Amino acid sequence: MKFRIYRYNPDADKKPYMQDFELADPEPGMMLLAALLKIKDTIDESLSFRRSCGEGVCGSDGMNINGINGLACVTPLASLKQPIEIRPLPGLPVVRDLIVDMDQFWQNYRDVKPYLIVNDPMPEVELPQTPQQREQLDGLYECILCACCSTQCPSFWWNPDKYLGPAALLQASRFIEDSRDQATEERLAALEGPFKLFRCHSIMNCVQVCPKGLNPTRAINNIKKMMVKRSL
Amino acid sequence: MSSVYVLHGLRPWLIQRISAVYMALFVVYIVVTLAMAGDTGYQQWHDWLFHPVNVVAVGLFVIALLLHAWIGMRDIILDYVHNTLLRMVAFTLVIVVLISSGLWSAKLLLLSVAM
Repeated sequence: MKFRIYRYNPDADKKPYMQDFELADPEPGMMLLAALLKIKDTIDESLSFRRSCGEGVCGSDGMNINGINGLACVTPLASLKQPIEIRPLPGLPVVRDLIVDMDQFWQNYRDVKPYLIVNDPMPEVELPQTPQQREQLDGLYECILCACCSTQCPSFWWNPDKYLGPAALLQASRFIEDSRDQATEERLAALEGPFKLFRCHSIMNCVQVCPKGLNPTRAINNIKKMMVKRSL
Repeated sequence: MSSVYVLHGLRPWLIQRISAVYMALFVVYIVVTLAMAGDTGYQQWHDWLFHPVNVVAVGLFVIALLLHAWIGMRDIILDYVHNTLLRMVAFTLVIVVLISSGLWSAKLLLLSVAM
């Protein structure tokens, strides 16, 4: 099984390069992450990448696999064309090999105030929701913030510091749709302007790559629809 | 800076969609009109354009086209041109071209009404 992996160690290398690896007889049903770990264990221990849970829950091992972002731990080797070309998530600075600097991504996430804002005095028990109100959050709360979507989005590549990107906007939608949140107007007002939300041209790369099968484009369009309703 | 992003955020997005719908309907109207036209020639064209409904329809089409073109070009420039000076130059060029096209179209339409 052939691999071509992006390597870059800023302390030693002048510029990034692609390194070829060959792994003998992979086990059936093996995921890409297991193969990377095997390469690290048996061929080159300096190969660097993030991973944690290994089952598509933590969102640590997002990477660009044959040109398409995904989580290595839930990508079966058998589904990939060889040589399997692996690069870091595009559009973010590389720290080393497949590890990217996620600061900008988290900054954009912070920007949408990803927490409930309640101005009324807090009740002594929890804030209840009807089952219907809870259903509004389906398809929004499941996001694991792996950054696969935002780093596959050209609008995020061109303006990462101004356009929030699909992941942050999905979270904006998650709190705008929440029946308990009392800052809907402020949240919508904060997204107005040519950049934060409206750099989205609905090309749906985010939908194509989301490892959790979520639809940020729909969430973004729902925000736009809500803005239109409010402005009429 | 924000004053150069003429029309701002939600509004251009809405105008882009509404103008697209209008232009699509207008194209259907034109195609049907041409298909049903018997004789074609300068006189027929002039009579068609002289009709008040058509003057208004064509006028609205020109406005929709100019707004749509502005928003599309604005989006491309905001996406790809990051140098402030270059961006200003690009915006200015697009605005000059669009406004002169608009004035030219207005002149043609007004002349066709006057004749």
